[in-house]
Amino acid sequence: MTPAQVPLAAWLLYAAPVTAILFGFFVMRRVKPEWTHLPILVSCMIVTASAFWLAADVYTGHSFDLNLFRWAAAGTFGVDFGLRVDGPGVAVLAMVSFVGSLIHLYAAGYMKGDPGFSRFFLVFHLFFLAMIGLLTANNYVQLYLFWELVGVASYLLVGFWFHKESARKAALKAFMTNRVGDFGLLLAVLLIVLQFKVTHFHLLYLKAASGATFDLLPLIGLCLVWAACAKSAQFPLYFWLPDAMEGPTPTSALMHAATMVTAGVFLLVRSWPLISLVEGLPHLVAWIGGITALGAAIIAGTKKDLKRILAYSTVSHLGLMMLALGLDQVGVALFHLIVHGFFKAALFLCAGNIAHALHQPTANVDDVGGLQKSMRLTYLSFVLAALSLAGVFPFGGFFSKDAILDAAWHHGGPLAALGMLVAAGSAFYIFRMLFLTFYGARPEQKQAPHAHEAEPILGIPVLFLALGAALAGLLKEPIQRFVVIGMRGLPSGLPELNLVLNLPGEPLLPHFNWVVADLGTLMVALGAFAAWRLTMSDPGFDWRWRGGFAESMFESDFGYKIFVDWLVRCVSWIARFTGRVLDKAWWDGLIESTNDIVRGAGAALASSAQGRVNDYLWWMVAGTALLLGKVLR
Amino acid sequence: MNMPLTTLWVVPLLGAAVCALLGARAKIGALIFSMIFFGAASMVAWISHATPGLSVLNEIGPVWAYGISYRLSADSLSLGLILLTAFLNLICVAASWELKVSAGYWACFMALASALTGVFLARDLFFFYVFWEATLIPMFFIIGLWGSSNRMHAAVKFFLFTFSGSVLMLLALLALVSAYHRVTGIWTWDLALLDASTLGAAAPLVFWGLVLGFAVKIPMFPLHTWLPDAHTEAPAAGSVMLAGVMLKMGVYGLLRIALPLFPSLSYDALPILGGLAAFSTIYGALCAMAQTDLKRMIAYSSIAHLGFCLLGVLSRTSQGLTGGTLQLVNHGLTTGALFLLVGFLYERAHKRGLSDFGDLASRAPYLAFFFGFSTLASIGLPGLNGFVGEFMSLSGALSVLPILAFAGVLGVTLAAAYALPAFQAVFWAPAGPDSVSAKVTDLDRRERAVLWVLCGLMLWIGLAPKPWLAWFEPAIRGLVR
Repeated sequence: MTPAQVPLAAWLLYAAPVTAILFGFFVMRRVKPEWTHLPILVSCMIVTASAFWLAADVYTGHSFDLNLFRWAAAGTFGVDFGLRVDGPGVAVLAMVSFVGSLIHLYAAGYMKGDPGFSRFFLVFHLFFLAMIGLLTANNYVQLYLFWELVGVASYLLVGFWFHKESARKAALKAFMTNRVGDFGLLLAVLLIVLQFKVTHFHLLYLKAASGATFDLLPLIGLCLVWAACAKSAQFPLYFWLPDAMEGPTPTSALMHAATMVTAGVFLLVRSWPLISLVEGLPHLVAWIGGITALGAAIIAGTKKDLKRILAYSTVSHLGLMMLALGLDQVGVALFHLIVHGFFKAALFLCAGNIAHALHQPTANVDDVGGLQKSMRLTYLSFVLAALSLAGVFPFGGFFSKDAILDAAWHHGGPLAALGMLVAAGSAFYIFRMLFLTFYGARPEQKQAPHAHEAEPILGIPVLFLALGAALAGLLKEPIQRFVVIGMRGLPSGLPELNLVLNLPGEPLLPHFNWVVADLGTLMVALGAFAAWRLTMSDPGFDWRWRGGFAESMFESDFGYKIFVDWLVRCVSWIARFTGRVLDKAWWDGLIESTNDIVRGAGAALASSAQGRVNDYLWWMVAGTALLLGKVLR
Repeated sequence: MNMPLTTLWVVPLLGAAVCALLGARAKIGALIFSMIFFGAASMVAWISHATPGLSVLNEIGPVWAYGISYRLSADSLSLGLILLTAFLNLICVAASWELKVSAGYWACFMALASALTGVFLARDLFFFYVFWEATLIPMFFIIGLWGSSNRMHAAVKFFLFTFSGSVLMLLALLALVSAYHRVTGIWTWDLALLDASTLGAAAPLVFWGLVLGFAVKIPMFPLHTWLPDAHTEAPAAGSVMLAGVMLKMGVYGLLRIALPLFPSLSYDALPILGGLAAFSTIYGALCAMAQTDLKRMIAYSSIAHLGFCLLGVLSRTSQGLTGGTLQLVNHGLTTGALFLLVGFLYERAHKRGLSDFGDLASRAPYLAFFFGFSTLASIGLPGLNGFVGEFMSLSGALSVLPILAFAGVLGVTLAAAYALPAFQAVFWAPAGPDSVSAKVTDLDRRERAVLWVLCGLMLWIGLAPKPWLAWFEPAIRGLVR
C-alpha cells in the first residue's frame, strides 16, 4: 500500500482538526472570537464522518498500517510517522469522535459568554486532535508524541479558569502525576528501541510472536503498566483525576469519556501482545484494576460533589477495564471502554446542566433535590445513563459489565468476588446520586430557587449520548469483530498472534452465562436497594452520618492522599535543600571564599617580606644551598 | 573572494569597529552588520551543503614560528554553530533595539560574535585558544557594564572562573604540542596532525586538563556555580548569547578536540563524565525548583539541558551524537527565547522574581503565549524541538550505560516540576499586593516578530527534525564508536 491509496477519510482525520485550529487561532480569534467554535464544529463533523467511514472499511476487512514519512533518523536509528487504522483503533476512534463531537456541541452552549471562549475551543479541539493521533499512531514514539499532547491539552483545560487557586493546583497535580507516569512510557519506549530496534506495533507483534525471549521485556511491560496507571488513573497514581474536574464541565466530560483516561487502557490494548508474554504481569494488571475499581466505588458512594462522584466512578470503571485486560479479555476491555464513554459523557453533561441551571460552576448534593420535575429532559438522560452504568438489563452497561464479571467468574477466586462487589458498589453510588439529586427535596438541601431545564443545545447532545449508552449493548458483536481483526495483525494476517493473545478462533467475548448474569443483577439490585434505603426511606441519613472518623477516612481516600502530599513535600524539601543550601550556601559559598583565602594567605605571607635585606639574604643562601645540594648529589 | 571562512569572522569584527565609530547610531551599524553576517553564514553553509565534495571547507594560511599556522576549516558542525551564532546575534540586536545603551554595547556583541565564529572555525590550536579567550572580553563587558545591580561581582566571577578553566586547557594544549615536537621533531598546532600517542604516560593528565577546561564552560556539575550569577546579572541579550552559544563552546571542544584525540581515554571516562552529566540533569532541575528568581531558574535549567547534550555526545552512538548536537541548537533557541521574555518583563517592571508578578495571562496574552510555548519546548514536549534532542540523546546513552539514561529520564520528569509552577506563578496566579504586573504591557510588534521566529523554529525542528539531524550527521560520523 502506498500513501496514494490511503482513503481520504484517513487524511481528513488530521487535516480537518489542524486546519480548524490554525484557522481559529490566526483568523477567528482576531476577527470574531465568539465564532471560533464554528470551524471547529465543522471539523468535528468531518472527523466523525471519517471515523465511521474508516470503521466501515475496517469492518469489511480493509485495515491498513503504513509509514508516511521518516520523522527522525541517525545512522541505523530511525523513527517513522505513520497511520495505523485497525480494529481496536477505529472502534475507539468512532466512539471518541462521536461522543467528542457531541461534547463539542454541548460546549458551544455551555461556554457561551465566557471571556476565554475562543481559547477554550482551540485547546479543546487540540485535545481532541491529540486523541485522534494517539489512536491512529503506528509506533510507540508517535504514540508518545500524542500522549504528551493529550497531557498538555488537559493541563491547559483543567487550569482553564486559572484565577481559581483550586484550578491551578488541580492542573499542576494532573500534569505532574501524568509526568510521573510518562517517566514509565518514555523509559519503555527507549527500552523498546534498545531491545527490538524498532518501535512499530506491527513489527513488534511479529517479534513477540516469534517465540524468542527478550530480556528487557518484563521491564518494558512494567513501565508500560506504570504509564497506563497514571493516564488511566489507577492505583497508585489515580489521585489526580478527581481533582481534575476543576476544569469546565465539557472538559471533564471529554476527559473522562473519550480523550484522556481511555488513553492508558488503549496503550495497554496496543501493547497487550508484549505484556501478555511477561509472566505474572497480566495478573498484576488485573489486581491493580480490581483494587482500584472497588476502592473508587466505595469512595464514590461517599462524595457530595456531583462531578466528584462521577470522577471516582470513572476511576472505578477504568479499574474494571484493567481487570478485564488483566484476565486477557482485550475485547471485553474495549467494549466496556466504549460503552463507558457514552454513559459517562452523558452523566457529566447532566451534572453540567444541573450546575448551569443553578448558575454555579459545580453542584453539590446539598444544593439540589427534586430536580425530576423541573428538569425533565436531563432527568430522562440521567436515568438512561445511570441504568447503563449500574448494569441493568437491557441497557448497554449490562452487557459490557456482565462480560467482565463473567471473565472474573471464570478466573475464580478473590477477583470474582471483587467483581461482584464492584457491581454492587456502582449501583449504590449512582442510585444514591440519582435519588439525592432528582428526588426529594430534603430539608437539609438548599432549595434550588428556579432550576429550569437547559436550552436545547445543552439538552439534545446529552439525550443522544444517553440513548447511545442505553443502546450500546447492540455494539457487542461489531466490537468483537473489530478486536479480532485488529489483534490478528495487519494486513496479511498473523495467525500466530492468536496463540500469543490466547484468542480462540471467533468468539472473543465470553459466552453468556446465566449464573453470572443473575448474580450480577442481584448485586445491582442490592446496591440499588441500599441506596434507596439510605436516601429515600431515611432521607436525612446522608447528612447525619457525616463528620466522624469515617468521613475523614473517605476525604483522604483512606489516608492515601496524606501519604502522597507527604511525598510531594519531601521532594520539594530535597529541591529546596539542594538549591539553597547545598548549591548556594555550601558549594558556591566555598568557591566564593577562595577570594578571602587568597587574601588571607597573602596577608600571612606578607609578614615574611617586610623589606629587611638581612632576611632576604638568609632566604637566598638557604635556597642556593638547597639547589646546590640537589645538583651535586 | 576566495577566503569565505576568514570573511565569516572578519565581518562581525568589522561590524564591531564600525559600531564603535558610529557612536549614537551604532545600533544601525550593528543591525546591518549582523544581517550581513547572517547572510554570509547562510550563504557559506548553503554552498558547502549544495556543492558535492565541499562538505568541508578549508583555508590554510602561512606557517609562523613554533608551527603556529592560520588554518580554518568548517564542516557541518562548525557551520551549524556559526549559523546559530549569527542567528542569535541578529535576534539579540533586534531584541535590544529600544534599549538606551552606548555604542560599546553593540560593538561588544559584534566582537563576541566574531570571536565565537573564530572558535568554531579554527583548526590550529593556537588560534583556537586565542579566539576562545577572546570571547571572554566582550562578555565580561556586557555583564559588567550593562548588567543589573550586582553586575561587577558576576562579571569578575565569570571571568576568573572560566579563565582558570581555560588556563588548564592551555597547559594541556602546550603539553600536547611539545610532546609532539619531542617525538617527531616537528612543531605544529594543527589539530589534524597532532597525535595523543606522543604523550605517553602523560596522556590521561592532558585529557583531564582539556576536559576540565571544557567542563567549566559547559558547565558541568560541580563546576557550574559561575553560571547562575552570570546569567542573572547579564542583560537579556547577554544571557541569550551566553546560554545560546558560549556554553556550546564546551561541548564543541569535547567534540572537536577531546573525543577525537583521546578516543579510548574518553571511553574509559564515560562512567565518570556520563555520570556527572546524568547527575547534572537531576541536580539542575532540583536547583531550578528551589529558585525564586526567573533568570536563576532558567540558568539552572540550562545546566540540566546541557546534561542531556553531554549524555548523547558521550555515548558516541550515532543517535546520541546527532541528538546531542541538535540539542545544542535546541537549547540555544528555547533558552534564548525564555531569557528574552524574562528580559522584556524586566525592562518593563524591573523585577524578575516569581512572586513579583501574577495574572499576566490576562494582562499580556502574547507574553503568556510565547512564554508558555517556550516553556513547553524546554520541558521536552514532543512535537517541539527539545524532545528530539532529549529522546535521541537518551536513546544513545541507554544503549551504552543504561543507568545514565534512567537518571536522564528522571531529569525529564523533573523538568516540569520547576517550569510549570513558575509559569503558573507569573501568568496564572492572581497579582498580589506587591505585584508589579500593572507595569507590564504586552509585547509590541517588534518583540512579537522576534519570538514568532524563535517559536516557529522550535515547532519546525520538533515536527520535522530529520533534515536538521541530517545536517549534523556528516560531522559527527567519525566520532561514532
